[in-house]
Amino acid sequence: MMELINTLISTMMSNQVSIPLAEPILELLRDIPLVGEMIALILWRPIFAALICPGLTVGGILLLFFPWIERKLCGRIQWRVGPHEIVWWLGGLIQILADTLRFLFQEVIVHKDAHKHYFLQFPFLSFIAFLLPLLFIPAGNIVAIESPYAIQIMLALICLFPVFILGLGWASNSRFSFIGTVREAFMYFAYEVSFIIAILAMIVLYGTSDMVSIVDKQSIWGIALNPIAALAFFIAAAMATSRLPFEIAEADQEVAAGPHVEYSGIAFGLIYVMCYEKAYVLSGLMTVLFLGGGSAPYIPVITDLLAPLLGDLWGAMWFVLKTIIVMTTLFVLRTIYPRYRLDQGLSIGWGAMLGLSVIALALSLALVAGGVIVI
Amino acid sequence: MKKVMVPDQSTGEKVIRHAAAIGVTMKESVYPLTATVFYPKERKKMPDNLRGYLMFDLDKCISCWQCAFICPANAIRMKEAPNNRYYPTVDYGKCIFCHFCIDSCSGGALMSTKIHDVAYKDMDEMVTLTEEMIEPPEIIREDKKTVEYVIDKKDLHLKRRKEVDTLLVENIPPVEIPMVSQCVDRGSCLACRVCERVCESGAVSSSTENGIIRMKIDTEKCTGCGLCVKECSMQILRLVRK
Amino acid sequence: MEEGEQDRNIRILHSGVFSPLRRWGAKWSLWPCHFVTSCCGVELAHAFACGFDGERLGTLNMGISRQANFIIVEGTITRKMARALRIVWEQMPDPKFVNVIGACGQRGGIFWNSYNITRPSEIVPVDFFVPGCPITPESLLRGVRAVQEKIEGKERTTIKFNKVELPSGGELEERTVPTTPKLFAPTPEIKLDVKRSVDWDFGKELKDLLRKGLKGLYESITITDVNRIAIRATQEKFMEVAQRLKDIMKMDHVKNVNVIEVPHERKYVMEYMVSSYSVDELMPVIISLFTEIGREAEPEFPSLTSLWESANYSEREMHDFFGIEYKGNKGMNGKFLLPPEVDTPLRKDFKIEEEQYVFDEEAPITTPIKLPPDLVMPVPEETLEAAEENDEMVACIGPHHPGSGHLRWIMRLKGDAIVEIIPDPGYVHRSMEKLAENRLYIQNVPLFERANISDPFNMNLGYVRTIENALKIEVPERAKYIRTIMAELSRIGAFFYDCGIYSLFMGHSTGFMYAWAIREMILEAVVRMTGSRCTPSFIIPGGIRRDISDYVLDMTDNFTSAVHKRLKKYEDIFIYNPVFVARTKGVGVLTREDAIRCGLVGPFLRASGIDYDIRKVAPYEAYDKFDWEVTTGDAGDCLGRFMGRYEETKQSLSILKQAVDVVKEMPRGAVISEEALGEYKEASRDIKGHLYHAYGNLVLPKGEWTTVTESARGTVLYSIISDGESNVPYRVRIITPCWMNLRGIIEASKGERVADFWAIYGSFGYFPPEADR
Repeated sequence: MMELINTLISTMMSNQVSIPLAEPILELLRDIPLVGEMIALILWRPIFAALICPGLTVGGILLLFFPWIERKLCGRIQWRVGPHEIVWWLGGLIQILADTLRFLFQEVIVHKDAHKHYFLQFPFLSFIAFLLPLLFIPAGNIVAIESPYAIQIMLALICLFPVFILGLGWASNSRFSFIGTVREAFMYFAYEVSFIIAILAMIVLYGTSDMVSIVDKQSIWGIALNPIAALAFFIAAAMATSRLPFEIAEADQEVAAGPHVEYSGIAFGLIYVMCYEKAYVLSGLMTVLFLGGGSAPYIPVITDLLAPLLGDLWGAMWFVLKTIIVMTTLFVLRTIYPRYRLDQGLSIGWGAMLGLSVIALALSLALVAGGVIVI
Repeated sequence: MKKVMVPDQSTGEKVIRHAAAIGVTMKESVYPLTATVFYPKERKKMPDNLRGYLMFDLDKCISCWQCAFICPANAIRMKEAPNNRYYPTVDYGKCIFCHFCIDSCSGGALMSTKIHDVAYKDMDEMVTLTEEMIEPPEIIREDKKTVEYVIDKKDLHLKRRKEVDTLLVENIPPVEIPMVSQCVDRGSCLACRVCERVCESGAVSSSTENGIIRMKIDTEKCTGCGLCVKECSMQILRLVRK
Repeated sequence: MEEGEQDRNIRILHSGVFSPLRRWGAKWSLWPCHFVTSCCGVELAHAFACGFDGERLGTLNMGISRQANFIIVEGTITRKMARALRIVWEQMPDPKFVNVIGACGQRGGIFWNSYNITRPSEIVPVDFFVPGCPITPESLLRGVRAVQEKIEGKERTTIKFNKVELPSGGELEERTVPTTPKLFAPTPEIKLDVKRSVDWDFGKELKDLLRKGLKGLYESITITDVNRIAIRATQEKFMEVAQRLKDIMKMDHVKNVNVIEVPHERKYVMEYMVSSYSVDELMPVIISLFTEIGREAEPEFPSLTSLWESANYSEREMHDFFGIEYKGNKGMNGKFLLPPEVDTPLRKDFKIEEEQYVFDEEAPITTPIKLPPDLVMPVPEETLEAAEENDEMVACIGPHHPGSGHLRWIMRLKGDAIVEIIPDPGYVHRSMEKLAENRLYIQNVPLFERANISDPFNMNLGYVRTIENALKIEVPERAKYIRTIMAELSRIGAFFYDCGIYSLFMGHSTGFMYAWAIREMILEAVVRMTGSRCTPSFIIPGGIRRDISDYVLDMTDNFTSAVHKRLKKYEDIFIYNPVFVARTKGVGVLTREDAIRCGLVGPFLRASGIDYDIRKVAPYEAYDKFDWEVTTGDAGDCLGRFMGRYEETKQSLSILKQAVDVVKEMPRGAVISEEALGEYKEASRDIKGHLYHAYGNLVLPKGEWTTVTESARGTVLYSIISDGESNVPYRVRIITPCWMNLRGIIEASKGERVADFWAIYGSFGYFPPEADR
């Protein structure tokens, strides 16, 4: 028994996240029995990735503050200010906390026509399911599960998303959620093919589907190598997260938020953050595939100073920063575009985007075959 | 006649238009043309002619009832004061702030203020009696600054000043047009004395001589309110220039 | 309202261990479910647009009831809407709050004695009342602050009055309270064809032509005014005359369907006003064709829908109002505009409550209103059956839906295609025509303005022009120009209003904000001119209430050039946005023939290629003195309609600029005609102090007085029938552009996709309070 624990601890100790800055404190804590083990556990790379970064903690913080960033930025673009009065000297930073608390303590209404159990289960199920792909995303060199088939598994998980949304709409059993659900299903097929082909183009280019080695191989960022694939991926991400101009399934003015129309209280709260979760996962994937993941650009003085101090967190920090930028771009789309009609959305998916992604694939093949890029 | 052409966007033009839309967004995210007034903390400066809550000057009121008559929402009703005269009360649950009452008040007794942001917790409180309209009301204010919208040739600007705007405005008295009531056909008078009973200024009086009631209008006392003209059942009274 | 509902929310918030967190969360996260029922919705939009940005306070507008926790009731809750209010309130999760803004929702405001209003406070528990008509954005936010404080535990009215003791010691003993100022003629004489000698040569020609064409069919043909001809016919030959008018005179659309009840003569006067879009010379001419029928219990009349499709909805409306059965009109089963429990309200024996002028503590201040009995809003049986038969889906959009506006659309859908849409209007029907019959002429000025507060000056101007026409009042030059400035400002404002709503319908919130920022500039100019942001009531018979300052003239002048900076950005982000163009181009096409058949008006008619603008056809105010062009288009699709209005707005800006330049040069002088003022001539620069004296006893000459005015969304027609004795109108008929355009929306939506409906709906700039009146 002791042996097993000792082996486990030594496995954990051999694969610890190193943070030189925090090392003095950690050193002290490590000597305390139990706490030391706890810290070893948390700092164990796979656990650290799942629980802290890019997993639950960073994800949670992002979910809490990203809507604020979005609302502030959109407000700014729209000549207003966005949330402000709640703590005015922080510019309304904790607005989403108030919203969350409100949702948490609000009544959850299950209407008569709903399929009660599914109606309540789906928001919670989907919340968890949406977090799973995060296990495969490396933040710098921290990753929960390293696998040569990481991208394939992620894709499979991402393609599960719409199933949950269909479930939400179906369990609601109302007219608008019905129309919205059908729209969601249509859109799903429209973006999925080109989404997969665009990723395929990058796999061909890098010659591997292991996320960590993809990051390592990006001496030049993927977006520079194959911008067409990046564009196709970005548009597909906008479609997958139901962002304008493809916010067709949830069109507020048309089908009154579609699948979500009947949800209230914390159930809606979960759905509300779900779209941010989705965006987080897809932006993370985009960062890894196209923006060099956690690789940091060299900035004189700052890099020299901070990189050794932060250790593994340095890469993680850059990963989160890039992800936020991608997410912001994704969300700012709503200030730029009105909404497409369903058939237009479909024809873009099956037409222009499919074309784009095929060209991207061809480009990758050409680059690899032509030996322009030797990886 | 001008024919409007519907834009027909070619692929090239579409790309330019996409770029233009994205360009606007990028520009606004850096230098936005924000036009927001932070209301509870600062107050937009309203012009002096803003139609807000009413105030009432008892001394100038001639109890002519015209405010009550003209009020399109029937928000103004006359209430009898202890001195036997009728003064207006306003029901803000009905008032539409058209200020027809102020424009009808020939004595200038009704005045405007710039108060317009009020919330009541109860509908019964919305009836404002005469005695409450004489002194300026107090409202809950959180504003420390005043913002003014200034439109110049180029754009709309917000001019912020660190001062608290006063909500009371100077009252400009109306042009005086002296009118008096006059009987044009004394022979038709029924001596019903409705003109006397309706007169608030006490200008109409009656005397009995040999069993015949005679009506008299004191042109000095008459305010020209026109109530007797309106009420006269024989329609023999007219308002004429003094 | 049930027992114990009033303070349930506060009880919930204050219970439990997490009470402070609950309260804090609720306080900063009040998501209003905008219950845009009428005018105040415009100001609500301003409060949440960039001018004031309600989102600062954590209140994010949310159209969906399940996710909101705060209702802001904006204005009138009609009997039809009362049901929706209760349903929406019950759909919301606890704890929830309700604010009522605007006088309509309190004691009714200007509609206080309407037959179709209810009081929200009797339907749902209300937390705060915000007075105003409409409220200002500031007061709306004050209401939000008050709710926030209430959640914290400080419930208070935000105004405190200081009481002053009134003087005592009266000397007047015998007193009579004055009676009502309204004078009703006991047996009014109603005559629609009062001859007026006018200088109108073409009219004489036309009269001869009509005489020949209608030989032996008519009873009399009278010229009642310039461009107005009245034809009296017998009931038997009515159809035939109408047919001839259509065939020979090319009268292709109906402008107005009217019924006048004359109870003491036991008759109804049935009237149709027809005009022509196809012949240029006939465009300004309105021919009124009328006949009299006996006043029976269930009167019948042949419908003219077979001749003129455009008469359809107005006939249905008259069926609701007077109970007249139009034989041949398919919509005669059931109510169209009214709720089921109101019957034939425009008949003279249907009495509404009278004004009280004396404050009486015994008498109730709030007049009791019986609430509608149930919460059912049924869909017509036939529709459901037809849908069932053809394997279609029926979806109801509205009356409370983020993209419905304030009426219900019943959609029959086959997959993603619209088979048919059926409008269910009347959710903001506030019975203006009935109220107008019971108010002084001058009191109707603010009343009619509230038909459309996004375009108030034109509504106001139309009514006032009708009175001026009847009384032959010539308006002073300066007032004419200022009125033109106001009308154009209002037209531009209405365009940006529609732009904002259109952007929202397309899911583009930035477009909404940008358009509303421009509107904020316009309203700033309006408030400085008139003292009110949306409901100026500034144009009165004979001129305007008072002159406007030089400062505001400069401001308006600056506006005409300053607007371009923001307009350019708006253009880039919305108007020429490829997604918007893709959504609207080629969608909802109405051909020239369709447009005439549906009787469309205004820019939407012009977008289908018909060169008809009243400002050019029959110029009024100072429009003939400026250099401008009518804009037309050929496309007839959504984008065409929108671009047409956009171009028109540019023309309006040019008119505005020219008008301001003229007024700046003009010496100050009278702004109210001295004829209108009578004895009170000194008030011609400022009416202050003499409004009632000068206008209280206004009486129009006997006859029917009709004017058409080009408002932002098209022709607004006012028709006043006066008996020549009463100082209240006998009957006022107002036909608003949106009411006429309703038909166009239906026609254009047929066969389009579901999402296209919003593209079509938005392109028509439909404003429900205006349509329902």
